[in-house]
Amino acid sequence: MSDLNKLYKQAILEHNRNPRNFGQPDSWTHQAEGLNAICGDQVMIYLTIADNRLQAINYAGESCAISMASSSMMTELSTGLSLDDWQIRFELFKQLMDTGNEVQSYAELGEVNTLVSVKKFPSRIKSATLCWYALDAAIHGRDTATTE
Amino acid sequence: MLREHFPGLNKQVHAKPLVYLDNAATAQRPRAVIDAVNDYYLNHNANIHRGVHSLSESATERYEQARRSISRLINAPSEKDLIFVRGCTEGVNLVAQTFVRNRIKAGDEILISHLEHHSNIVPWQLLCEQTGAKLKVIPMNDQGELVLNELDQLLGNKTKFMAVVHVSNALGTINPIKKMVAAAHEKNIPVLVDGAQATPHLKVDVQDLDCDFYTVSGHKMYGPTGSGVLYGKAEHLNAMPPYHGGGEMISKVTFESTVYNAVPAKFEAGTPNIAGGIGLGAAAEFMMSVGLDKIAQRDQELRVYAEQALGEVPGLRLIGTAVEKSPVFSFVIDGIHAHDIGTIIDHHGVAIRTGHHCTMPIFQYFGLAGSCRASLAFYNTEKEVDVLVESLLKAKAMFE
Repeated sequence: MSDLNKLYKQAILEHNRNPRNFGQPDSWTHQAEGLNAICGDQVMIYLTIADNRLQAINYAGESCAISMASSSMMTELSTGLSLDDWQIRFELFKQLMDTGNEVQSYAELGEVNTLVSVKKFPSRIKSATLCWYALDAAIHGRDTATTE
Repeated sequence: MLREHFPGLNKQVHAKPLVYLDNAATAQRPRAVIDAVNDYYLNHNANIHRGVHSLSESATERYEQARRSISRLINAPSEKDLIFVRGCTEGVNLVAQTFVRNRIKAGDEILISHLEHHSNIVPWQLLCEQTGAKLKVIPMNDQGELVLNELDQLLGNKTKFMAVVHVSNALGTINPIKKMVAAAHEKNIPVLVDGAQATPHLKVDVQDLDCDFYTVSGHKMYGPTGSGVLYGKAEHLNAMPPYHGGGEMISKVTFESTVYNAVPAKFEAGTPNIAGGIGLGAAAEFMMSVGLDKIAQRDQELRVYAEQALGEVPGLRLIGTAVEKSPVFSFVIDGIHAHDIGTIIDHHGVAIRTGHHCTMPIFQYFGLAGSCRASLAFYNTEKEVDVLVESLLKAKAMFE
């Protein structure tokens, strides 16, 4: 399979076509915007935290397929996690996206591991990581995040 | 046309022949430019306007010869009216801070247009912050053309300066600059024209346009990066204070006071980009040897061909459909983000730009975060346009 086909593999295209947890919910406790203005990725995270857990995560916005799929997968993986467990996964995801790291998957990341193919496209890593930094910003009470 | 003169085009990307359609970002350079830069470093490497030794003299001669070449390219009355700068951005900032700043106060207005590159917006916003002046904007219509029947009204009693783009980098629109300058001059309002995207495509005659200032970007017109010139009418340049202080721009310095050098040296503090200036002169000579009319004609042939070819891609929408247009095509495709298109067609060897192209207000008008932009130069071919179209169809197939 070519690198391009690995990047746009079915799982990623499917999440792009049918994004999970997409759209503004009726209520939320935390929110933050991820914005990569130069490439045109914009994602708004709506988060409800209760009992130290990420009870509900929704996202909205206009982004490329990589950013959309990453957001969709992230919300599926992260919903229900304790804040500490999410933090562990965020750190693992950063390692997964680190071009200097050769590890191809982490058990804790599940389907999110499909995004490892983005590493072959250094200019696109920021698309995959944007929603994660936006969720991190929402958790910590910051309004915005960017990965450009 | 003349592809063999551009060694940078002869490349493979992802094992496919490069199709370089990002000329509005930066053009490829002809061998003549690369050779001129190398020749300076290899055979004439010395500082200019300083030493009495032979090498310094030959370097100075080449640098000043380049100024004369660029002066002929844009038909300036004298090469002394040309200031070497790093590019249009520096040219605009120079004019904002040394010409306009002295003649503007709180409540006055500076007029720009909706089609401006950020580099012809932000320097004026900075000036407005410094002085309390206001920025006014000539509006744009759905075709990406300026709405000029409002120009007379916008050029009011408080307008002290107009700064407008000749050719839009994002949409390709060619503005009727001569008419716009005349309208402003009727009310004694001086005008700067941002020519970054005009000189690569059009025959520019600053005397015919009668503009007060004109900026030229070297790397967009096949010259080196970090090179450019600002043309200004002599009466203005002579009256303006220096922009940067330093060596070269002085004729006498004591600790009590400094006497400035004559124009253009007054505006060229420090050792300049000597190789870049010489390379830009070579680019001007190259363009004149090809023929400016011939370049313009070839550009329009490509524009017509590409407009039709892109129109046949299902779901593709062109952004900017002005009647007068250079071969620049901004477009979006239903269901695929520009960034994905850029990555996918790169794998077919096609280089385009994606994003807002440093013109965020244009895309705010169209309700878009950005677009794909294919920008052509005279050395592109109809076959390359076909490769672009085929690669776009493949991108669409991938997402279906």
